[in-house]
Amino acid sequence: MSSQDSQDIETATTAIIESAPDTKTRRYDRQLRLWATTGQSALESSRILLISGSATSTSILKNLVLPGIGHFTILDHAKVSHSDAGNNFFLEGYNSIGKSRAEEAVQLLSELNDGVEGRADTRTLESILESHPEWITSFTIVIAHNLDHALLNKLSVLLWKDSKYPPLVVVRSAGFLADFYIQFHEHTIIESHSETSPSLRIDKPFPALREHALSLEFDKMDSTEHGHIPYVVILVRALEDWKKSHGGSPPTSYEERQQFKKGIREMKVKDDEENYDEAEAQAYRCWTETKIPSEITTLFSDPALSTEAMDSSRSPFFHLLAALKEYTEHSDTHTLPLTSTLPDMKSDTHNYIHLQRLYKTRAEEEKQIFKSHLRVPVDDAMVDSFVKNAHALVVLRGKPWGTFDEDKAALVESLSTMPKETCIHLALSALSLLQASDTSVSPSAESIRAKIKTLVGQSTELPDEADDAIEEIARAPFSELPNTAAFLGGMVAQEVIKMVTKQYVPVKGYCVIDLIETWTGTIGA
Amino acid sequence: MTTKTDVNGAATSSDWQDRYYHVDQILDRPGPRTDPSFLAGDEVKDFLRNKCKILVIGAGGLGCEILANLALTGFKDIHLIDMDTIDISNLNRQFLFRPADVGRPKAIVAAEHVMKRVPGVKVTPYYGKIQDKGDDYYLQFNLVICGLDSVEARRWINATLVNLVDPANPESFKGQARVILPTVSSCYECSLDMLNKPTTFPICTIANTPHLPEHRIECASVLEWPRTRGDEKLDTDDPEHIGWLYSIAVARAKEFKIEGVTWSLTQGVVKNVIPAIASTNAIIAASCCNEAFKIATSSAAYLNNYFMLIGTEGVYSYTFEHEKRDHCPVCEGEALEMSIMISRDWTVEQLIELLTEKQNIQIKKASLATPEKPIYFQQPPQLEEATRPNLEKRVSELVPDGGEVVVTASTLPFSLSLIITYE
Repeated sequence: MSSQDSQDIETATTAIIESAPDTKTRRYDRQLRLWATTGQSALESSRILLISGSATSTSILKNLVLPGIGHFTILDHAKVSHSDAGNNFFLEGYNSIGKSRAEEAVQLLSELNDGVEGRADTRTLESILESHPEWITSFTIVIAHNLDHALLNKLSVLLWKDSKYPPLVVVRSAGFLADFYIQFHEHTIIESHSETSPSLRIDKPFPALREHALSLEFDKMDSTEHGHIPYVVILVRALEDWKKSHGGSPPTSYEERQQFKKGIREMKVKDDEENYDEAEAQAYRCWTETKIPSEITTLFSDPALSTEAMDSSRSPFFHLLAALKEYTEHSDTHTLPLTSTLPDMKSDTHNYIHLQRLYKTRAEEEKQIFKSHLRVPVDDAMVDSFVKNAHALVVLRGKPWGTFDEDKAALVESLSTMPKETCIHLALSALSLLQASDTSVSPSAESIRAKIKTLVGQSTELPDEADDAIEEIARAPFSELPNTAAFLGGMVAQEVIKMVTKQYVPVKGYCVIDLIETWTGTIGA
Repeated sequence: MTTKTDVNGAATSSDWQDRYYHVDQILDRPGPRTDPSFLAGDEVKDFLRNKCKILVIGAGGLGCEILANLALTGFKDIHLIDMDTIDISNLNRQFLFRPADVGRPKAIVAAEHVMKRVPGVKVTPYYGKIQDKGDDYYLQFNLVICGLDSVEARRWINATLVNLVDPANPESFKGQARVILPTVSSCYECSLDMLNKPTTFPICTIANTPHLPEHRIECASVLEWPRTRGDEKLDTDDPEHIGWLYSIAVARAKEFKIEGVTWSLTQGVVKNVIPAIASTNAIIAASCCNEAFKIATSSAAYLNNYFMLIGTEGVYSYTFEHEKRDHCPVCEGEALEMSIMISRDWTVEQLIELLTEKQNIQIKKASLATPEKPIYFQQPPQLEEATRPNLEKRVSELVPDGGEVVVTASTLPFSLSLIITYE
């Protein structure tokens, strides 16, 4: 086993020395450190549709073109107005007035990145919904900013029809206030980039680790070696020794735990042995049982895993999840497969590398067992990534756009738990409804309030926060402030990147933004 | 169409009718959370567009965004300082730069680009260091927006400015924005202890017990480079230099069976690269500009005083009032006094080390002196050489019990008076 293992490491490290990175890698260096080449290629194969060429839309696109999406289309039949020319950085100021807003914006956005294809489409959404809905559903993701209420409804209904249709991002803003919502059926994430690290399984050491810890003769070591035994090994050993004299149980009471820690301190032969300090600080790992995280246990009862749902058309994610469930049912330790990532710790080269190999070998063995539970072929890289992230998998399920606004009970509940956020959301909904019925007049605070009442029910008392939201919307109902547009541009692009790369966790529900007091909040999840 | 004369005196046809339709909706009438002092209408527009002078520090990831936002909002007299030139790795987010601009000064290119795109805005670039400019320069501005990425530069600017500062610090999907009203609200120095400790690898680990790929890379750059390449200065932007470090690190790593040394990691470690994307910069820059706009116009309440965003898991943000720190040396005056108790055996070198580690001080490369004579000076070289023997001496030989040591450092925007007592 060990010779095989060392050969693997040999091959890995003698892999051809990389030459200096190419221009593309250098250009994308700062983001590749976040989502790696897998995320980058997902971005590069994405096709994004933006409905409208508003300042907010072009701000969103800017932050997607720069990191390198594959393609974008701006669908907009409008001509550049005087006010567009004043608030949109991706128009040529006064010179763009009267020209096609989509064409002008696409040209300037395309300058940002040669690798991205941009197209302007000057048809109306209405006509496309009517005659070519399949054109809309062919995109990876669709984003709509301040879209007319009736058209938005039609669009969201269309995109909800089939779970394979693209997600829809609905963005609304007026003055300093905004919200956005991502409509999607299901979103699965392997690389959630969780900050929780997987268990080192010190409380349930695998045989090779246990043997290694028990084989050490601390009293025969010279002081250099003694000071470089990794804390993981110290803890496994101390715990085994403890269990021997305590009927096989780990330290349970407060006193026992203090005593255990004291025992570790007493292992020191010199005062400055930091590895024992680390062991003492990490001692809680000995009595915190390694279990399957509750979030993952919950996923095991996901309806997608039922026999009826598990035909071969299911995504690889659910086949992997089914295999994981089976794996844990057969696992003696009732744990997830081991991962080989070892954190940094006080050690010398030899001891650390030895420990790393023990973990690597065992992780490889457990991965093979995991694979034996897999019923369909799945790409190796994906299996590796799945096992490595098994402790932090995420499945999100969404609702269609607008259901929140039709659910009076949910709105009332939200008004009492998150009044500020809910009031802004409702005021934006009211604005959109009012504009749909009459675009000629600027809505008054009274009319906005009345519209909100129809949404939440006449008998529902609005909280004090409602005035702030309503009057602020009435102050500037048609204002698209450059800073609000830029802020939304960043927020929405970030969520789109998460959706497209299937890395990190996108927001669920309506993300509400107040740029007066400068806060964000999420409701209606 | 109306014609106006902008602040710089050049007649332009740039203020076309409805140019500021969107912003004017806010400036023409107060909202429910607008300060009563707000002067809706022409007066505030005149101040914003013709009188307000604003300084942007940094033309990088934040700076590019800030500049574009300010220009669109209606600020017309914008000054810009940046000492860097454009690198290819900037292009994934610094959207005012194109491949053909690589190597040119950021401040100049950014200013040209914005003036071309937003007619009538004057951007005055300065390609150089913030420290080149004195108080009289900084005092001419109504507002300063700070888009710097270095802690040292931000501490310096924080201590220099008597007007508003707005620093921000995006990294991956996270960032912060804040409003600092000097002496009124908490300042950058007040919150120094909130900074994450930078990742550093102790030299003894690198030299004696390397076990991570990062250790091998540090070893190549800190130990092997000077040993082999002598006095040649390591340039972390030179691919040949990075390539050399990489090949050395790979070879050594292989010897010890350490896995994971890559070109990208090598560059990351030696340049201390922080991952950055356009969208996070956009969010943070927009919130800074939004605060600048609200403060300049009084059109709405402003952030009080700290906004923190974490976008890795959903959208999580936290807005709170950061309290002033008691006895903050910047808020409260020039010198900070601190008492410290050390062992009589401590050497001067150990004391300097301790000052580096103190989270609320963070003094790198401190110089020490008693009120009478120098103990150790980092600069100039002659003085460094002359005082170097003191490093190994015990502090107790040089400073009496209860005696004072004056600490200065280039990273320290004030002087620190250390009162030493012995255990």
